[in-house]
Amino acid sequence: MYTLLIKQFLKTKTVFLAFGILIFLSVLSISTGKQFLNQKKATIAKTVTEQQKHIETQTSLHKDDLGLLLYYLKFSFINDLNPLAGIAIGQSDVNSQIQNVTILNLEGQKYNTDLVNPMRLHVGNLDVSFLIIFLFPLVIIALNFNLLSEEIEKGTWKMITIQGKSSFNFLVKKLAIRILFVFAVLGLLFIATKFVLNIPFNDSFLHLIITSYFYILFWFAVCFFVILLRKSSNTNAIILLTSWLVLVVFLPVLVNNYVTNTYPVDEAFAMTIKQRNEYHKKWDTDKKATMDKFYTHYPQFAKYGVKEEGFSWLWYYAMQQMGDDESKQEREAMYKKIEKRELLSKKIAQFFPPLQTQLAMNTIANTSLTHQVKFLNATTKFHEDLRLQFYPKIFESNDANTVNWKKYKPILFKSETEFSLTKNLFYMALIIFILIGSSVFKNRKYFY
Amino acid sequence: MKKQIILLIAKQFFKKTFFTKGLLVLLSCFLLVLVYITITGWNAFEQHDHAVEHHQESSRKSWEDNPDKHPHRMAHFGSFTFRLQHPLRIFDSGIESYTGNSIFLEAHKQNTANFSEASLSTGLIRFGDLNIALLLQLILPLIIFFLGYSAITAEKENGTLKIMYTQGATIKEILLGKSLGLFLVSTVFFLPCLLSLWSVSFLENHTVNGAIIIRSLLITISYVLFYIILCCITILISGKSANSNKALLTLLSIWLLFFIIVPKTAQVVGNAFHPNLSKIEFKAAIEAEIAKQGDSHNPNDPYFNSLRDSILKANNVTDVKDLPFNYSGFLMSKGEEQSATIYKSQHLKLIDSYRKQNSISKRLVLFNPYLAIKNISMSFSATDFDTYVSFLSQTEKYRYEQSQYMNNLQMKFISNKAKSSEGKVHVVGKENWKSLPTFNYKYITVIKTISNQLLSILTLCVWLLLTLFFMSKSANRFKII
Repeated sequence: MYTLLIKQFLKTKTVFLAFGILIFLSVLSISTGKQFLNQKKATIAKTVTEQQKHIETQTSLHKDDLGLLLYYLKFSFINDLNPLAGIAIGQSDVNSQIQNVTILNLEGQKYNTDLVNPMRLHVGNLDVSFLIIFLFPLVIIALNFNLLSEEIEKGTWKMITIQGKSSFNFLVKKLAIRILFVFAVLGLLFIATKFVLNIPFNDSFLHLIITSYFYILFWFAVCFFVILLRKSSNTNAIILLTSWLVLVVFLPVLVNNYVTNTYPVDEAFAMTIKQRNEYHKKWDTDKKATMDKFYTHYPQFAKYGVKEEGFSWLWYYAMQQMGDDESKQEREAMYKKIEKRELLSKKIAQFFPPLQTQLAMNTIANTSLTHQVKFLNATTKFHEDLRLQFYPKIFESNDANTVNWKKYKPILFKSETEFSLTKNLFYMALIIFILIGSSVFKNRKYFY
Repeated sequence: MKKQIILLIAKQFFKKTFFTKGLLVLLSCFLLVLVYITITGWNAFEQHDHAVEHHQESSRKSWEDNPDKHPHRMAHFGSFTFRLQHPLRIFDSGIESYTGNSIFLEAHKQNTANFSEASLSTGLIRFGDLNIALLLQLILPLIIFFLGYSAITAEKENGTLKIMYTQGATIKEILLGKSLGLFLVSTVFFLPCLLSLWSVSFLENHTVNGAIIIRSLLITISYVLFYIILCCITILISGKSANSNKALLTLLSIWLLFFIIVPKTAQVVGNAFHPNLSKIEFKAAIEAEIAKQGDSHNPNDPYFNSLRDSILKANNVTDVKDLPFNYSGFLMSKGEEQSATIYKSQHLKLIDSYRKQNSISKRLVLFNPYLAIKNISMSFSATDFDTYVSFLSQTEKYRYEQSQYMNNLQMKFISNKAKSSEGKVHVVGKENWKSLPTFNYKYITVIKTISNQLLSILTLCVWLLLTLFFMSKSANRFKII
């Protein structure tokens, strides 16, 4: 029975067409990911050599004045890409993966962007996640829309029912072959991706694979549901394509629009103005007031005192510090807004598998907004460490060559992925269950 | 060819399609979505506009509120420019989500434009932007395909095509009539969209140098052309296909290929062939160039030393302290001039590499009317790449003028004895801050946009002629049964 059904399945033109298209797009999407990772890797390598060169030139130019040297010196902090980012590029092409900061006011530097062609960002990436979320459903629809209706239209269904065996069984067998085929193609895709992108086989990769399989299963459930509405092939095709259009193209756009408009992040503008003003105001205010604030933040430096007359680096760096310290309220308001955006997105997404899958994949691949915020926070910490290392040396007017500059190599940011499979897939599983359950229930009289 | 027959067939197709059960539902959904998009888009635009204006004012106010200061302090105080959006972004937001919204302009430092909408958004933003153009460019073509795929095949399958033919309607008339009918049905969908475009352009007409009416007019014409082409192609494919299923499949593949896969692939390939410099490399290139010509921060730099000597000679003094103007102000103005020129040439190179990346999809316009309408719609809505590049170069120009304004103040009013910009001794009156002109953003002119998009406009015209030509040609070798 199975062999016959498989033969019949493999003889259809759609299968070859679907397979061909998938292979072509797989090659394209994997090479997109590879190219992305390679470019990032090359940039990281450049950053390392550039930083060394930069330190060498600057230290030779300003060797007598550490305060001035550190006004110019930039230190790199790199968000090391997970190879899974080649599968789900997510937001990692929009956001800068490399921070290049001086120990001055951080808030004026932290949000500087990388140089990316906005047209490319706008068109979006044809990465593996796009292939799975966007195009696999179409293949599934093409393979399944006339599973039952074709037999009815050709008159073969009656012959099956009068043969006495369970016709439901027959339908499930037909469906199972298609599920197996698509699962196998997806498996091949992941194997190819693993080798081309050098992805280690770990929990994250496994989670990503499981999420993808669940998503594929969701589309089979949708097809199963529509097939059992027992409409004509044409109607099935239209219903399925419309649901694809709504679920994959339209709803995500609508949800994003809703989230963006519900929480516009104007605080970013307010914050950026504030951090500038607060630093610059200090040039015109009493030095003691600035220094008092600085020493409240860093009591360990209070011993350096206040020098009322003329310029000193101590005072200068204290002023710079105030730009960060006194824009704290605005900054927190901005982060709160971003957090609200994320929460709302996640809340809505869990009920819509395409959205959920995209967000889950980005989370697993560390290419989500959450991860970017983590990176920004880690940058703050990185920056603070640098300040604490250099502040006392500057305040004591140490020489530039008392510092071991070789030690200052770019630092890689690594973080743990926090991803809960059950939390992320619960609603998707529930939706799949409801779709299959309700259609079996409705059609129970046909199946024995 | 009889006009009456064409009109008759068109009318019949329109009636038949328009009064099908599902169409009214579809149309109401479409209109509902359109209304939602227009209202929320408009609100978002006004909100953004308001926020930009508010923050621009507050930034300027803090600039003007500065007390008497050393001009170089003001040069570093700098100014913010928040990017204004063209009202037509309600219609087509183009690349707006991905372009920076705020840029900090200060002396001898070119900052990036930051806080793009995308950088503050979750991954969902990559599915696309909700605007009227999305409906017109992606959704409506699919609806047209759904409505028209069986226009001819159904007549074939019912056997009514034979009857029409024997009654004296030529194939050409049938094809043209059906295309016209389909176009009329699509009108019901796209006219409301254009109506909301026009309501934007009439109500937001106060935008300075927006040239909004002429932009809307050009957009309207382009979309009408696009839909004529699309309807003709749908009918042609329906005529060429053996049955309705195949017609639908072909049209869907066309949609997928032309509307989704080709545009994405073109950009990926463009990026692979013409990679651009990363920021680190870009900055290193500028630094290297500056080091080659002379570094004004280096006290032993040969270039700047010879400059000093020639200045001393010209003014008949032996020490820079005796010069009639502030020497460090002069030095900075020279340094600014030099670094700005180098930055400009490097930035042009960068933009050029972006253009090369875009060039593949730009050339594909010829083969893909979707890309053509997309580019036209974006650029006339002033949300395209060229508009953004022009914004960046305008801000850089303003930054340069602002810095030189401050350097001039320093040369004129600051004594050569000043050792540092600290304190209340070497200062310039605050009335000078107010007299610095504000940044005045100008959109690219419509004429310039037309010349940028000439290829796309031509493509639409050529495709229109081609489809009509194919229609009359295929009518000669047409299988009626």
